[in-house]
Amino acid sequence: MKILMKEDFKAFVNALIGDPSLDTVGVKAKGQKFVFDSLDSADELRLDYDVTILPPKKYFLPQYETIVEFDMSQPFSAKRPEYPRKRVIIGVHPYDIAAIRQMDSYFLDTDITEAYLRRRKNTLIIGSDVITVSPTAFFGDMKTGEVKSGYDLFITDLGDRVSFEVGTEEGERLLRHAANLKDSTPVDLQKRKAKRNSANGKAMRGLMAKPNVWHDLLEKNFESIVWKNQSDKCLACGTCTLVCPTCFCYDINDEINLTLKSGERVRTWDGCLLRQFTVISTGEVFREDIVDRYRHRFHRKGRYLPDRLGFVACVGCGRCSSQCVPDIADPVKMMNMLFESSEHVIAEDGDRDAHSVSIDAKNFDLEGTISLHMPKPATIIRAEKVTEKEMFFEIEMDDHKPLGHQPGQFVEVSLFGSGEAPISVSSPPGGNTFELVVRKAGDLTNKLHLMKAGDKVGIRGPFGKGFDAEALKKKNLLFIAGGLGIVPMRSLFNHVLNNRPDYGEVTVLYGCKEPCEMLFKDEVAAWGQRKDITHLLTVDKCPDGECWEGDIGVVGKLIPKVKFDPKHTIVILVGPPVFYKFVIRDLKKLEVPDENIIVSLERRMKCGVGKCGHCQMSGVYVCKDGPVFNYKEIKDNKEAFK
Amino acid sequence: MKPRVAFFDFASCEGCQLSVANLEESLVDVLKLIDIVAFREVMKEHSDQYDIAIVEGSITRPMDEERLKKIRANANILIALGACAHLGGVQRMANQWTPEENKKEVYGIANPADIADSNRFFEKPRQKALDEVVKVDYTIPGCPINKEEFAKVLIALLTGRKPPIPDYPVCVECKKKENVCMFTIGKFCMGPLARAGCGAPCPTAGNECEACRGYVDHPHEKAQTDVLEKYGLTVDDIMRRKTMFTYRYVEKPKDGA
Amino acid sequence: MKDVNILVEHLTRVEGHGNIVLNAKDGKVEKVQWQVSEAPRFFESFARGRTHYEMAHVTCRICGICSIGHTEASLKATETAMGIELSEQTQTLRRMIKSAENLQSHVLHVGYLIAPDLFGVGSVFPLIGTHPQIVLKIVALHRLANEMSDLLAGRTIHPTNMVPGGFTSIPSEKQLKQLRQKLLDAVPVFNEVAEIVLANAHKLPKFTRETEFIALTSDKEYAIYDGVIGSTDGGTWPVDQYLKVTNEFVVPYSTAKFTKHNRESYMVGALARFNLNYDKLSPLAKQWAGKFGLSSVCHNPFMNSVAQLIECFNDVETTIAWIDQLLEKGLDAKNMCAKYDVKAGRGIAAVDVPRGILFHDYTYNDKGICTKANCIIPTNQNHNNINQDFKAFAPTIIDKPEKEIELLLEMLVRAYDPCISCSCHYLDVQWKR
Repeated sequence: MKILMKEDFKAFVNALIGDPSLDTVGVKAKGQKFVFDSLDSADELRLDYDVTILPPKKYFLPQYETIVEFDMSQPFSAKRPEYPRKRVIIGVHPYDIAAIRQMDSYFLDTDITEAYLRRRKNTLIIGSDVITVSPTAFFGDMKTGEVKSGYDLFITDLGDRVSFEVGTEEGERLLRHAANLKDSTPVDLQKRKAKRNSANGKAMRGLMAKPNVWHDLLEKNFESIVWKNQSDKCLACGTCTLVCPTCFCYDINDEINLTLKSGERVRTWDGCLLRQFTVISTGEVFREDIVDRYRHRFHRKGRYLPDRLGFVACVGCGRCSSQCVPDIADPVKMMNMLFESSEHVIAEDGDRDAHSVSIDAKNFDLEGTISLHMPKPATIIRAEKVTEKEMFFEIEMDDHKPLGHQPGQFVEVSLFGSGEAPISVSSPPGGNTFELVVRKAGDLTNKLHLMKAGDKVGIRGPFGKGFDAEALKKKNLLFIAGGLGIVPMRSLFNHVLNNRPDYGEVTVLYGCKEPCEMLFKDEVAAWGQRKDITHLLTVDKCPDGECWEGDIGVVGKLIPKVKFDPKHTIVILVGPPVFYKFVIRDLKKLEVPDENIIVSLERRMKCGVGKCGHCQMSGVYVCKDGPVFNYKEIKDNKEAFK
Repeated sequence: MKPRVAFFDFASCEGCQLSVANLEESLVDVLKLIDIVAFREVMKEHSDQYDIAIVEGSITRPMDEERLKKIRANANILIALGACAHLGGVQRMANQWTPEENKKEVYGIANPADIADSNRFFEKPRQKALDEVVKVDYTIPGCPINKEEFAKVLIALLTGRKPPIPDYPVCVECKKKENVCMFTIGKFCMGPLARAGCGAPCPTAGNECEACRGYVDHPHEKAQTDVLEKYGLTVDDIMRRKTMFTYRYVEKPKDGA
Repeated sequence: MKDVNILVEHLTRVEGHGNIVLNAKDGKVEKVQWQVSEAPRFFESFARGRTHYEMAHVTCRICGICSIGHTEASLKATETAMGIELSEQTQTLRRMIKSAENLQSHVLHVGYLIAPDLFGVGSVFPLIGTHPQIVLKIVALHRLANEMSDLLAGRTIHPTNMVPGGFTSIPSEKQLKQLRQKLLDAVPVFNEVAEIVLANAHKLPKFTRETEFIALTSDKEYAIYDGVIGSTDGGTWPVDQYLKVTNEFVVPYSTAKFTKHNRESYMVGALARFNLNYDKLSPLAKQWAGKFGLSSVCHNPFMNSVAQLIECFNDVETTIAWIDQLLEKGLDAKNMCAKYDVKAGRGIAAVDVPRGILFHDYTYNDKGICTKANCIIPTNQNHNNINQDFKAFAPTIIDKPEKEIELLLEMLVRAYDPCISCSCHYLDVQWKR
C-alpha cells in the first residue's frame, strides 16, 4: 500500500484532469446529493460522499447511446459510432465495483456486447472506501463493502493522507502522475481497516434473509399477499430500476434527422416497472398489473439472475430505497417482510452472494468481437401480398450464405428509421434464401409492406431455440396452428414433409378467424392431395358471401375429430397468447403427457440475445431459451400462460 | 410535393408556436420538408389549402368552435399543439366558475351590456380542449411544447411512422438526467403521473413538475395521492396540484356553462 | 373620391386576435377601429385560489413571448406582498434575465417581422432564399438570446427556475464566462444587422402624432426591471399608484381592456422607454441612436422598432457589465433563494417588458392563497393609442391605393409589436366599394 499526503493527492487528481488523453470523472456534489461527473478541479472531488444518485453504470451503459449510425439515402449504409477517449473514474465505492463485475457477467456472457466491452476496456476504475454511509445502504448485510478485484487503483481517504492499493498494471501506470508517493506504515493500514470496519458496520440494516436464502424465499412466497399490499402503493415510475446498479434492461429506437436522410439507432435505459415494457406490436401487455411488475423486479434480483448467471443481483447500495417516493422499494424491508410472513421452511443456496461472478472483463479482447446490434444487409428476392394484412417475403443475405436457421427460430428484421421487429422464419432449413410472412402491426411492418423485390433490409439472427427436428424423428406428430402461428410452424412442417419417411403419423389442424385470413393457401390445398398426412381446417366465422368448406369454430374443436394416440404423439402448438390456455386444456383432457406438448411463445423480443430484458417470462428469456419450449419445462412458469 | 402545413391559434399564449420559431437553424431544415402555408406568428400570407393543420389554444366560444370545425374540414391531419389544445390549458381552471362570474371578476360590472352573451366576442366563454369539439389525430403535449419533440413528430409523420410521444412518467427522464428528486428537497412533484417527452426541464431546474403534459395512459393516481398526503399536503393542496394543468380530468359540469 | 371598407379579421391577438375596420365614404374616413377579438381566458379570475409559489407559473402563461416579464412581475408582486428581501446576486441575475427576454423579443420583432416589410416580402421565409446570409445572422442572434434565457431562467418560454425569493438553480461561473464571450462576439453581428436596418430606415413612414409616453424610469439605470412610473408629460408615480395612471375601461369591440391617462391615450414600449430614459442608455446604444437620428421625445410610432434595435445594444452592453460584477464577487449557490414566511398582504409590482410597462397586483390571505389579482398588460395599454393613431393616420393615406393603405395600417400595428402574431397576420381583408 502506498500513501499520498492530501496536497499531493490533489496534485495527482489535477494531473489526471490535465492529461489530454483522459476524461477524468469523479464524485461531485449536486445540491445535497452526489453524482459522478467530469472534474474541472481536484477541489470538486468529494471522497466523503455517501452514495451517488446514479451508479457508475452510466459510463458503461449510457442513458442514451448511439449504437448504429445509418444513412437512409443509400440502399444499406450503417456504421458504428466513434467511442469517446479513455476515461478514469475516481471514487467508485466497493458495492458499485461489485455491480460493475455483475454487469461484466451480464454483457460478456454468451453474446458479447461489443459497445459495452469497448467502454469497459476504455475505462479505468479508481475505487474508494466508503467514508460516509448512506442511511439506506446495506452493503454490510450484502458483504459488498469490500472488494478484492475489479479496480485499477483503490484509494482510502485517511484524513490528512490518501492510501493507494494497486489493482492492475494499467492502474499502476496512472501513478506516474503522482509525486511524493511513499510507502504506508502499519498505522496507515490500521486506520484503513478501522474505516472499513466502521463503514461496513454502519451499513448493516438488519437484513434477516441473507442473500443465499433469497432464491428459496422468493420462490416459495411468489403468491404472498405482501406483494399486493406493497405494490398498491407503487407509482410504477421506474425509479427503482433506473437508479439500480444491477438493472441493465434497455430499449432501442431509431431517430431520424431533420434531413430525413440519416439517423441513429439509439439504445436507452428501460425498466420492468413501466407498463409498456412488455407490450408487443398487437397491443398485448404481459405484465399489466403493477403487482406483477413489482414482484418481477425482486425476483429478477434474487432468483432469475442467480439462476442464470450465479450472482444475487443486489449490492446493497440503497439507491432504490432512498429514491422510492412511496418507500416500497427497499430490499431489506421487502425481504424481511417476506421472511417474517413466510410459512415455509426456507433453504440456503450454498454461499451464493453478490460476488458470485465467474467472468472477468480483463480476459476479453476487443479484437474480433462483433457488434450485437449491427444488422447484416440482405435483399428481398420476392415480395407477395398474401392476405389483407400479411405479406410474404423471400430474402437472401448479401453475403450469399444460407441463414443457417433451425425450424422455429426467428430473425430481427431491421429497417433504418423504423427500427427492428422479431419475425419468425417460415421456411424449412437449407437453401440460400429464407422466407418470412409479415403481418402489418406497427411502423416497421407497415414500411415492410411497401417494399418490393430488390429492396434491402437488415437482418440479425437467426435467434433462439427452434424445434428439435432430430428428436422428433420416428414420432407421430400432431400440428395445431392458430392464426399467424402457421408461420413459424411451417418451417418445421415443411421440413417434415420434405423428409416424410423419417416421421410417423402426421396430422395438422389449422384455424384462423376468417377464410380470407388463411395463409399459404396453395400449400394447404396441396395437403389434401397427400395421402400421408391428415389435415382439418376451421375458421371462427365465415362472413356471408365467402366460400368455406372446412369447419366453423375454434381450432380446439378439431381435436376430437382426429384420431391420434394421445400417449404416443408429439403435439406442436403455435398460436396467439390466448390460444394456448384453451388448446392445452383440451389436450390435457385427452391425457396427452406434458412432455409431448411443444409450444412456441410470443413476447417482446427486442435484442434477440437475452440482454434487453423485455421478453423475460419469469426467469426465462423467450428470445434465447425459446421461443420453442417443451410444455413440461415451462408449465410451472407463472408468467408463461397467464 | 411537400406537404402543406398550416398553423392556427385559439386561446393561448402562443408560446408553442414560438417554440417552433425557436427551432432556429433547424427551422430552416424544416422548411425544406414542408410548405408552411399559414403561420400567424411569422407570416402574412395565408392559404386554406393544407394537408396538416397544427392548432394551438383552447376553444372558448361558439365563434371559436365554428372556426375550428372549418379547419378540421380542410385538413387531412389535425394536430393539437400544446397543453391548451390538449387539455384546455391553465385557463381551464376558470371553468371552476360560471362564465358570468368570470366576466364580472375580470371586466367589472360598469357596462354589463358590453360583455353580455349577445356580443359574440363575449359569448358563453368556456374552455375546452380540441378533441372535445373535433377529431384530433395527434397531440403534442406540453406548456410549452418541447421543440425537439415537435421536430420528431413532424419527422415521424413525414416518414410514415407513429409520432413518438412516450407513455411513461416524467420520473424516467428525470432519473436519466440524474436530478435530485423534488420530494427529497421538500417539493411536491407530479412527475410520477405526468407524461414524459419534455426531458424533465422543471425538476432539472429545481422546480416541481406540474403535469403540463397531462398524465400517462394508466396513471396511478391513488398511489400519488397517498404520497402527497404522506409528505404533508392537505386535501386542498392535493386538489390544487391536480388542477393546475389537469383540471380536465376532474372537471364537473357547472351551471351556466 | 372613393369609398373604402376594410375589415381585417383576426389581425392580431392582444396577446391574441384583433381586427382592423376601416370605412370611408367619398374619401372621408367615417370609421376606423382597432378591435380585439381574442378569446378571454380570465386569468385574474382563476388566479384566485392559487398559492404564492404557483402564481408566477400561472400568470407567465398569459404570454409565451414575454413569459419571463410576467414571471418577474409576478414574483416581485408576491415578494412585495410577503416582504421578501432579495439578495444583490438575485437582483442582478433577474436583471440579466430581463435583458435576455428583451433581446430575444426585439431580435424576433426587428429581424423576423419588420425586416420583411423593409424588403417588401410577406414573411421571413422568402428571405431565407434571397438573403440567406442576413437571415442566418439574425437566426444566430435570436438563438444567442434564447440560449441566454435558457441558461439564466431555465427555459426561454415559461421559465423553470424562478421562484419567490430567487432561484432554484443558477448558472455556474464557467457558463457565465462563456456567455460573456458569446455576447462580445455578437456585437459585430448586431452592428451589421443595424447597418442593414439603417440603410432601409427611410422606408418607415414619417408619421407623427403627439401623445403621452409612459414607462418605468430610474435614476440608477436604464429601467426595465425596476423603477417608478414616468410620463413624458411630466411627473413620476410610485408603482403602487398604477391605477391612477392606467385607468382601465371596457369597450364593446374589445375583449382586452383599454387605458388612458393625461390624454385620450398613451403609448408604452421601447419608444416610451427611450423617450424617458435616453440618458441612461449604454455608449454603443447612444451611438446608434445618433446614427438613426433618433432623439427624445420622438412621436413617430413607426420608430418603435428602431428604439428596439437600440435597446438590443443596451442589453448586450449592460449584461456584459453585470456578468463582470457577478464574477468579481463570485457566485454563491447558497445565496440562491431567500427564505420567507407566508403572510397576508397585497403586492403591486411593475417591470418594463419588451412591449412596455406591465403591472401585477395580488392580494394574498394568511395561508398564502391569492384572493384577488389584477394584471395590466402593455399591449392593452397600447390598444387605445393604436386606435387614436389610426384616426390620425388613416385620413393622411386614404387616397393611396387600397393595398398600400392596408399595408401601412398593418405596419402601424406591427410597429407596436403588440405580439408577434398580431403584427403580421391579416386574414380575410375585405374591400367593399
